[in-house]
Amino acid sequence: MEERKLTEKESLEVITSMIARTKQRYIGNGNILLMWGYLVVFTTILVWIMLGTTHQNVWNWLWFAIPIMGCSVTPFMARRQERDCGAVTYSDKITSQLWTIFGISEIVLTFMCLGFQFLGDIYCWKAMLTYTLVTAPIAEIAQGLIIKEKSLIIGGIVGLLAGLITICCVAGGIPLYDYWFLPLFIVVFIVMMIVPGHILNYKARRNK
Amino acid sequence: MKELDPLLHSQLRLAVMSILMNVEEADFVYLKEKTESTAGNLSVQLDKLSTAGYISVEKGMSGKRPRTTCAITNEGRKAFEEYVEALRTYLNL
Repeated sequence: MEERKLTEKESLEVITSMIARTKQRYIGNGNILLMWGYLVVFTTILVWIMLGTTHQNVWNWLWFAIPIMGCSVTPFMARRQERDCGAVTYSDKITSQLWTIFGISEIVLTFMCLGFQFLGDIYCWKAMLTYTLVTAPIAEIAQGLIIKEKSLIIGGIVGLLAGLITICCVAGGIPLYDYWFLPLFIVVFIVMMIVPGHILNYKARRNK
Repeated sequence: MKELDPLLHSQLRLAVMSILMNVEEADFVYLKEKTESTAGNLSVQLDKLSTAGYISVEKGMSGKRPRTTCAITNEGRKAFEEYVEALRTYLNL
Protein backbone atom coordinates (compact mmCIF):
# COMPACT_ATOMS: atom_id res chain seq x y z
CA MET A 1 0.00 0.00 0.00
CA GLU A 2 1.34 3.40 -0.96
CA GLU A 3 0.99 6.80 0.61
CA ARG A 4 -1.22 8.78 -1.77
CA LYS A 5 -4.31 10.97 -1.89
CA LEU A 6 -7.59 9.24 -2.56
CA THR A 7 -10.88 9.95 -4.22
CA GLU A 8 -13.94 9.73 -1.95
CA LYS A 9 -14.95 6.42 -3.52
CA GLU A 10 -11.46 4.96 -3.00
CA SER A 11 -11.57 6.06 0.66
CA LEU A 12 -14.74 4.10 1.17
CA GLU A 13 -13.14 1.06 -0.51
CA VAL A 14 -10.08 1.27 1.77
CA ILE A 15 -12.29 1.39 4.89
CA THR A 16 -14.44 -1.54 3.71
CA SER A 17 -11.41 -3.60 2.75
CA MET A 18 -9.64 -3.05 6.10
CA ILE A 19 -12.77 -3.90 8.08
CA ALA A 20 -13.04 -7.16 6.11
CA ARG A 21 -9.38 -7.99 6.80
CA THR A 22 -9.69 -7.46 10.55
CA LYS A 23 -12.71 -9.75 10.56
CA GLN A 24 -10.49 -12.69 9.59
CA ARG A 25 -10.51 -14.03 13.15
CA TYR A 26 -7.46 -15.55 14.71
CA ILE A 27 -8.89 -18.16 17.08
CA GLY A 28 -5.53 -19.03 18.57
CA ASN A 29 -4.24 -22.36 19.74
CA GLY A 30 -5.53 -24.47 22.60
CA ASN A 31 -2.33 -24.49 24.67
CA ILE A 32 -3.72 -22.51 27.65
CA LEU A 33 -6.80 -24.73 27.72
CA LEU A 34 -4.61 -27.86 27.57
CA MET A 35 -2.32 -26.62 30.33
CA TRP A 36 -5.28 -26.01 32.69
CA GLY A 37 -7.02 -29.22 31.62
CA TYR A 38 -4.00 -31.48 32.26
CA LEU A 39 -3.14 -29.61 35.48
CA VAL A 40 -6.64 -30.10 36.90
CA VAL A 41 -6.91 -33.72 35.72
CA PHE A 42 -3.49 -34.83 37.05
CA THR A 43 -3.96 -33.00 40.36
CA THR A 44 -7.41 -34.54 40.84
CA ILE A 45 -6.09 -38.03 40.00
CA LEU A 46 -3.29 -37.54 42.53
CA VAL A 47 -5.66 -36.27 45.26
CA TRP A 48 -8.09 -39.13 44.52
CA ILE A 49 -5.39 -41.80 44.73
CA MET A 50 -3.77 -40.34 47.87
CA LEU A 51 -7.08 -39.83 49.70
CA GLY A 52 -8.21 -43.31 48.71
CA THR A 53 -5.02 -45.07 49.80
CA THR A 54 -3.97 -43.09 52.88
CA HIS A 55 -7.30 -41.65 54.12
CA GLN A 56 -5.31 -38.59 55.23
CA ASN A 57 -7.03 -35.25 54.61
CA VAL A 58 -3.67 -33.53 54.41
CA TRP A 59 -3.58 -34.50 50.70
CA ASN A 60 -6.23 -31.83 50.06
CA TRP A 61 -3.32 -29.35 50.17
CA LEU A 62 -2.50 -30.62 46.69
CA TRP A 63 -5.44 -28.60 45.34
CA PHE A 64 -3.27 -25.51 45.80
CA ALA A 65 -1.01 -26.78 43.01
CA ILE A 66 -3.76 -25.83 40.51
CA PRO A 67 -3.93 -22.05 41.17
CA ILE A 68 -0.21 -21.73 41.97
CA MET A 69 1.04 -23.47 38.83
CA GLY A 70 -1.78 -22.36 36.53
CA CYS A 71 -1.72 -18.68 37.48
CA SER A 72 2.08 -18.56 37.20
CA VAL A 73 2.21 -19.96 33.68
CA THR A 74 -0.97 -18.47 32.12
CA PRO A 75 0.25 -14.81 31.76
CA PHE A 76 3.33 -15.94 29.80
CA MET A 77 1.27 -18.20 27.54
CA ALA A 78 -1.35 -15.46 27.00
CA ARG A 79 1.32 -12.89 26.09
CA ARG A 80 2.85 -15.30 23.61
CA GLN A 81 -0.54 -15.98 22.01
CA GLU A 82 -1.22 -12.22 21.82
CA ARG A 83 2.14 -11.72 20.11
CA ASP A 84 1.40 -14.48 17.58
CA CYS A 85 -1.99 -12.93 16.78
CA GLY A 86 -0.68 -9.35 16.57
CA ALA A 87 -3.94 -7.69 17.61
CA VAL A 88 -6.31 -7.71 20.55
CA THR A 89 -9.99 -7.44 19.66
CA TYR A 90 -12.85 -6.43 21.94
CA SER A 91 -14.02 -10.05 22.15
CA ASP A 92 -10.48 -11.21 23.12
CA LYS A 93 -10.54 -8.72 25.97
CA ILE A 94 -13.99 -9.83 27.14
CA THR A 95 -12.97 -13.52 27.06
CA SER A 96 -9.80 -12.79 29.01
CA GLN A 97 -11.69 -10.77 31.64
CA LEU A 98 -14.29 -13.52 31.95
CA TRP A 99 -11.63 -16.13 32.79
CA THR A 100 -9.85 -13.68 35.10
CA ILE A 101 -13.07 -13.19 37.13
CA PHE A 102 -13.51 -16.96 37.27
CA GLY A 103 -9.87 -17.45 38.33
CA ILE A 104 -10.04 -14.83 41.10
CA SER A 105 -13.27 -16.30 42.49
CA GLU A 106 -11.65 -19.77 42.51
CA ILE A 107 -8.63 -18.50 44.45
CA VAL A 108 -10.88 -16.74 46.99
CA LEU A 109 -13.00 -19.89 47.35
CA THR A 110 -9.90 -22.05 47.82
CA PHE A 111 -8.86 -19.92 50.82
CA MET A 112 -12.42 -19.97 52.17
CA CYS A 113 -12.46 -23.77 51.95
CA LEU A 114 -9.14 -23.85 53.77
CA GLY A 115 -10.65 -21.68 56.52
CA PHE A 116 -13.65 -23.97 56.84
CA GLN A 117 -11.37 -27.02 56.93
CA PHE A 118 -9.66 -25.56 60.01
CA LEU A 119 -13.10 -25.11 61.54
CA GLY A 120 -13.43 -28.85 61.21
CA ASP A 121 -15.47 -29.50 58.12
CA ILE A 122 -13.42 -31.29 55.47
CA TYR A 123 -16.54 -31.66 53.30
CA CYS A 124 -16.21 -27.94 52.42
CA TRP A 125 -13.69 -28.80 49.65
CA LYS A 126 -16.57 -30.27 47.67
CA ALA A 127 -18.02 -26.73 47.53
CA MET A 128 -14.99 -25.67 45.51
CA LEU A 129 -15.36 -28.56 43.09
CA THR A 130 -19.12 -27.94 42.73
CA TYR A 131 -18.57 -24.24 42.11
CA THR A 132 -15.90 -25.07 39.51
CA LEU A 133 -18.24 -27.48 37.73
CA VAL A 134 -20.83 -24.71 37.32
CA THR A 135 -18.80 -21.57 36.62
CA ALA A 136 -15.98 -22.95 34.44
CA PRO A 137 -18.45 -24.41 31.89
CA ILE A 138 -20.35 -21.10 31.73
CA ALA A 139 -17.10 -19.24 30.98
CA GLU A 140 -16.19 -21.89 28.41
CA ILE A 141 -19.58 -21.76 26.66
CA ALA A 142 -19.30 -17.94 26.50
CA GLN A 143 -15.82 -18.23 24.98
CA GLY A 144 -17.07 -20.82 22.49
CA LEU A 145 -19.93 -18.54 21.44
CA ILE A 146 -17.58 -15.56 21.05
CA ILE A 147 -15.00 -17.36 18.91
CA LYS A 148 -17.64 -19.63 17.29
CA GLU A 149 -15.94 -22.86 18.33
CA LYS A 150 -18.34 -25.81 18.68
CA SER A 151 -16.00 -28.04 20.72
CA LEU A 152 -15.89 -25.40 23.48
CA ILE A 153 -19.67 -25.02 23.47
CA ILE A 154 -20.30 -28.79 23.57
CA GLY A 155 -17.59 -29.36 26.22
CA GLY A 156 -19.05 -26.51 28.26
CA ILE A 157 -22.58 -27.92 28.05
CA VAL A 158 -21.35 -31.35 29.25
CA GLY A 159 -19.53 -29.67 32.13
CA LEU A 160 -22.54 -27.54 33.03
CA LEU A 161 -24.83 -30.59 33.09
CA ALA A 162 -22.42 -32.30 35.51
CA GLY A 163 -22.36 -29.12 37.58
CA LEU A 164 -26.15 -28.92 37.76
CA ILE A 165 -26.40 -32.60 38.73
CA THR A 166 -23.83 -31.93 41.47
CA ILE A 167 -25.88 -28.98 42.80
CA CYS A 168 -28.98 -31.22 42.90
CA CYS A 169 -26.98 -33.88 44.80
CA VAL A 170 -25.87 -31.30 47.37
CA ALA A 171 -29.40 -29.88 47.69
CA GLY A 172 -30.88 -33.40 47.91
CA GLY A 173 -28.44 -34.52 50.58
CA ILE A 174 -26.67 -37.08 48.36
CA PRO A 175 -23.03 -37.24 49.57
CA LEU A 176 -20.36 -36.42 46.99
CA TYR A 177 -18.15 -39.42 47.76
CA ASP A 178 -14.62 -39.32 46.38
CA TYR A 179 -15.04 -42.68 44.60
CA TRP A 180 -17.57 -41.28 42.14
CA PHE A 181 -17.33 -37.49 42.37
CA LEU A 182 -13.58 -37.13 41.72
CA PRO A 183 -13.70 -39.42 38.63
CA LEU A 184 -16.67 -37.37 37.38
CA PHE A 185 -14.59 -34.22 37.87
CA ILE A 186 -11.73 -35.77 35.89
CA VAL A 187 -13.97 -36.90 33.00
CA VAL A 188 -15.65 -33.48 32.81
CA PHE A 189 -12.31 -31.67 32.57
CA ILE A 190 -11.12 -34.05 29.86
CA VAL A 191 -14.28 -33.35 27.80
CA MET A 192 -14.36 -29.65 28.67
CA MET A 193 -10.71 -28.64 28.30
CA ILE A 194 -8.41 -31.34 27.00
CA VAL A 195 -10.52 -32.42 24.00
CA PRO A 196 -11.33 -28.83 22.83
CA GLY A 197 -7.70 -27.85 23.47
CA HIS A 198 -6.42 -30.54 21.11
CA ILE A 199 -9.11 -29.63 18.54
CA LEU A 200 -8.04 -25.95 18.66
CA ASN A 201 -4.38 -26.94 18.28
CA TYR A 202 -5.25 -29.13 15.29
CA LYS A 203 -7.14 -26.24 13.67
CA ALA A 204 -4.30 -23.80 14.41
CA ARG A 205 -1.79 -26.18 12.78
CA ARG A 206 -4.07 -26.65 9.75
CA ASN A 207 -4.50 -22.90 9.29
CA LYS A 208 -0.76 -22.21 9.26
CA MET B 1 -19.87 20.78 2.49
CA LYS B 2 -17.49 19.79 5.29
CA GLU B 3 -13.86 19.33 4.26
CA LEU B 4 -12.33 15.87 4.57
CA ASP B 5 -9.64 15.63 7.25
CA PRO B 6 -6.36 15.80 5.23
CA LEU B 7 -4.59 13.64 7.79
CA LEU B 8 -7.03 10.78 7.22
CA HIS B 9 -7.53 11.38 3.51
CA SER B 10 -4.52 9.31 2.49
CA GLN B 11 -4.48 5.63 1.69
CA LEU B 12 -2.16 4.17 4.32
CA ARG B 13 -3.19 6.41 7.24
CA LEU B 14 -6.85 5.72 6.51
CA ALA B 15 -6.16 1.98 6.33
CA VAL B 16 -4.37 2.04 9.70
CA MET B 17 -7.19 4.02 11.31
CA SER B 18 -9.83 1.66 9.85
CA ILE B 19 -8.03 -1.34 11.37
CA LEU B 20 -7.54 0.33 14.75
CA MET B 21 -11.24 1.26 14.85
CA ASN B 22 -11.99 -2.49 14.80
CA VAL B 23 -9.49 -3.79 17.35
CA GLU B 24 -8.51 -2.78 20.88
CA GLU B 25 -4.83 -2.69 19.91
CA ALA B 26 -2.60 -4.00 17.14
CA ASP B 27 1.14 -4.41 16.82
CA PHE B 28 3.37 -3.09 14.04
CA VAL B 29 3.74 -6.45 12.28
CA TYR B 30 -0.04 -6.98 12.20
CA LEU B 31 -0.60 -3.49 10.72
CA LYS B 32 2.17 -4.04 8.17
CA GLU B 33 0.63 -7.35 7.05
CA LYS B 34 -2.94 -6.10 6.87
CA THR B 35 -2.08 -2.87 5.03
CA GLU B 36 0.53 -4.59 2.81
CA SER B 37 2.86 -1.63 3.33
CA THR B 38 6.60 -1.30 3.83
CA ALA B 39 8.00 -0.95 7.35
CA GLY B 40 9.55 2.45 6.60
CA ASN B 41 6.40 3.96 5.12
CA LEU B 42 4.19 2.56 7.87
CA SER B 43 6.51 3.88 10.55
CA VAL B 44 6.36 7.41 9.09
CA GLN B 45 2.55 7.36 8.86
CA LEU B 46 2.19 6.03 12.42
CA ASP B 47 4.36 8.91 13.63
CA LYS B 48 2.08 11.40 11.85
CA LEU B 49 -1.06 9.86 13.37
CA SER B 50 0.56 9.74 16.78
CA THR B 51 1.72 13.38 16.60
CA ALA B 52 -1.86 14.39 15.73
CA GLY B 53 -3.05 12.51 18.81
CA TYR B 54 -5.15 10.09 16.75
CA ILE B 55 -3.34 6.97 17.95
CA SER B 56 -1.20 6.00 20.91
CA VAL B 57 2.01 4.13 20.23
CA GLU B 58 3.62 2.03 22.91
CA LYS B 59 7.09 0.59 22.44
CA GLY B 60 7.94 -2.38 24.61
CA MET B 61 9.52 -5.79 24.61
CA SER B 62 7.90 -9.15 24.02
CA GLY B 63 10.37 -11.70 25.29
CA LYS B 64 13.65 -10.65 23.72
CA ARG B 65 12.02 -8.95 20.73
CA PRO B 66 10.93 -5.30 20.54
CA ARG B 67 7.18 -4.83 20.03
CA THR B 68 5.37 -1.64 18.99
CA THR B 69 1.68 -1.61 19.86
CA CYS B 70 -0.81 0.92 18.52
CA ALA B 71 -4.30 1.80 19.72
CA ILE B 72 -6.77 4.45 18.62
CA THR B 73 -7.39 7.37 21.00
CA ASN B 74 -10.77 9.00 21.72
CA GLU B 75 -9.66 11.94 19.58
CA GLY B 76 -8.78 9.58 16.73
CA ARG B 77 -12.11 7.76 17.05
CA LYS B 78 -13.98 11.08 16.86
CA ALA B 79 -11.90 12.24 13.85
CA PHE B 80 -12.56 8.96 12.05
CA GLU B 81 -16.32 9.16 12.68
CA GLU B 82 -16.38 12.75 11.40
CA TYR B 83 -14.36 11.68 8.34
CA VAL B 84 -16.84 8.90 7.54
CA GLU B 85 -19.74 11.30 8.04
CA ALA B 86 -18.14 13.82 5.65
CA LEU B 87 -17.49 11.02 3.17
CA ARG B 88 -21.17 10.10 3.25
CA THR B 89 -22.20 13.65 2.34
CA TYR B 90 -19.67 13.74 -0.53
CA LEU B 91 -20.95 10.46 -1.90
CA ASN B 92 -24.61 11.26 -1.14
CA LEU B 93 -25.01 8.08 0.90
